[in-house]
Amino acid sequence: MEIALIGNPNTGKTSLFNNLTGSYEYVGNWSGVTVEKKVGVFKNNIGHLTDLPGVYTLNPLSKDEGVVTSFFLNESVDRLLNILDASQLERNLHLTLQLLEFEKPAFIGLNMVDVANKRGIQIDTSKLSELLGVPVVPIVARNGKGCDKLVDVISTQSIQPAKKNLVYYGKEVEAAIVALTAEIHGKTNLSGRFLAIQYFEGNEYVRNYVNIIVGEKKLNDLIVNLESTLQTLYNVKSLANYIYQKRREAIEKIVVEVAVKSNFDIPLSEKIDMIVTNRFLGMPIFLLLMYVMFMLTFDWLGTPLSDALDGFLTGPITAGFESVLTAIHASNFIHALIIDGLVAGVGGVLVFVPQIFILFFFISLLEDSGYMARVALVMDRIMESVGLNGKAFIPMMIGFGCNVPGIMAARTIETPRERLVTILLTPLMSCSARLPVYALFVGAFFARNKALVVLSLYVLGIVVALVLAKIFSSTLLKSEASLFVIELPPYRLPQFQSLWRSTWDKGKGFVRKAGTFIFAGSVFIWLLSYAGPNGLKVDMDDSYLAAIGNMIAPIFDPIGFGTWQASASLITGFLAKEAIISTMNIIYFVPNDASLQGLLANYYTPLAAYSFMVFILLYIPCLATVATIYKETNSKKWTAFSMIYAFAIAYVLSLIIYQGGKLLGLV
Amino acid sequence: MFGSLKVGDKGKIIDISLVGHLVQRRLLDLGITEGSEVCVKCVMPFGGPIMIESCGQCVGIRRREAVRMKVERI
Repeated sequence: MEIALIGNPNTGKTSLFNNLTGSYEYVGNWSGVTVEKKVGVFKNNIGHLTDLPGVYTLNPLSKDEGVVTSFFLNESVDRLLNILDASQLERNLHLTLQLLEFEKPAFIGLNMVDVANKRGIQIDTSKLSELLGVPVVPIVARNGKGCDKLVDVISTQSIQPAKKNLVYYGKEVEAAIVALTAEIHGKTNLSGRFLAIQYFEGNEYVRNYVNIIVGEKKLNDLIVNLESTLQTLYNVKSLANYIYQKRREAIEKIVVEVAVKSNFDIPLSEKIDMIVTNRFLGMPIFLLLMYVMFMLTFDWLGTPLSDALDGFLTGPITAGFESVLTAIHASNFIHALIIDGLVAGVGGVLVFVPQIFILFFFISLLEDSGYMARVALVMDRIMESVGLNGKAFIPMMIGFGCNVPGIMAARTIETPRERLVTILLTPLMSCSARLPVYALFVGAFFARNKALVVLSLYVLGIVVALVLAKIFSSTLLKSEASLFVIELPPYRLPQFQSLWRSTWDKGKGFVRKAGTFIFAGSVFIWLLSYAGPNGLKVDMDDSYLAAIGNMIAPIFDPIGFGTWQASASLITGFLAKEAIISTMNIIYFVPNDASLQGLLANYYTPLAAYSFMVFILLYIPCLATVATIYKETNSKKWTAFSMIYAFAIAYVLSLIIYQGGKLLGLV
Repeated sequence: MFGSLKVGDKGKIIDISLVGHLVQRRLLDLGITEGSEVCVKCVMPFGGPIMIESCGQCVGIRRREAVRMKVERI
């Protein structure tokens, strides 16, 4: 049995999905967390559940919404599970009525009944069920209340087709529905009434679908006639608007019967909003939060934890490996491979796990609390001035964690131009994989101003992105249309459990990568450094790795780090940014960061170190990000562009910093 | 006009047709259209967006769009 989960944005579909299938998909308190359909299996094995992106209506505006309409047109589904936000019943019912027109067995999960109660709204679920003709189960998806009941209802209720024609669209429209249905009869399995109404509403996806089976000309006449009849008879603005109004009338009748509203206090949410989106305080509060986040990650909490972990890895763990290797009489080759290759390479990356988890914890906190949408609102004025909109700030913030989900999050941006610019610029956001490089270098060269120097890099990434946004949107991608309407969800106190869950979900990718990609990469890099044209166990300066590095090293001479070591680590950095660290640990031949930091001073000046960090920040996005850019833009041209422009801008900025710094007498 | 409303003021939308087509559609999705009652919650500085509340939900829109709505103070 195939069941589709559908509802308005931010109504808790994914929370329910996780609850019903036992999965741990990405959840957050902002509209548009889910941008792709995801399939899971029900815990009790009654069938597959498909989680769809949130939509207000089946007539899409943005790409993530289009996913839902295509799903309805092209894939087979047996039952629909519609999630309603009980505190926003009127708005949610618009979608419900369209779903019921689809004429498949449907169920309703009435979510957030607790929120609704707090706001003084009581809903009579049995009455609602009776009026809509489908089962309605009240649930609280966040804590799983009522979910068992919902599963029971889905698996035991006999399949009963939904009550027909809940909305009467008026004599003229109904006649046209009959006419269109007759045209497509027998040519599709989908409900004719559903297709007809969506067609009249101007749903592009449905129009393409129907035009292919019937031919555009015939239907066009039908629509033009219908629209002009309605205009002369009722003086309506458009056919779509007329249909909307009819639906609204039907909804008003339903709501009057099922919902009782009483007076309530000003929600806490609005009190918080008076402060965080305050005219003058909004921006400073945001910057202060960012500052606290960086201090905690790099200074107050993250560094001591990382140091402790480092001590543990280089001390007991390395000693443990040593004694095991000695005990089993391992050959020198194996010994060197494990200690100099694996422990140095993988351990060097694992050391940063605490800092990365702290960063992810903060990003999860921003997402779960509902503050993310406020940030978009606060930032809109700045983003607008560079030709983007405030919503583009959300992918960028997520990009601080990892660029890949950041680029995916750009799907919620409605206009294609703004979406493309956001996709191109999100890789400039300093992701968590770049963090180990900074942590290492600031430890070695800027010990006294760690957090500040790192913050300067993050800010530089944002500033470069904004400047480029302005350049791109006034040259390459000119267009006037811009759309900024953002829903600001009520604040929610994040639950520790779900916070931990999403922190772990984001962070485990980093750990997993260390265990697979970096593991294999370390072995490979070590082998390249161990072998050379003259055989095995050569001096590292004569190894293959040095030969490769030396080939491109001259390019980096003008920006301060023309060594084969730096070049070799930049090459591996394209595969994954944290590979830079494992490569350096292997190349510089030291199994821990503390000694690596000391050693780095022989190879870099502080100025060259800063130039190197800037280069790492901006140069070519990692392989996974490039693949995502290609997937999301579906264009080789833009993918190539994203790599080339990033390299160029990185080189130019590093050149300015290094040469400029030298002119100013910095070293 | 929306421009004359201040933070905390309530109004009823009487004409939304001058607002950009896409914004109009999105507001309609959110249930905000002619006849809706709205309350201005906050106004961002330097001509930034404004936050309005309607039926218990808060929505941010640009001021440029907001001033094109005809609103009757209530």
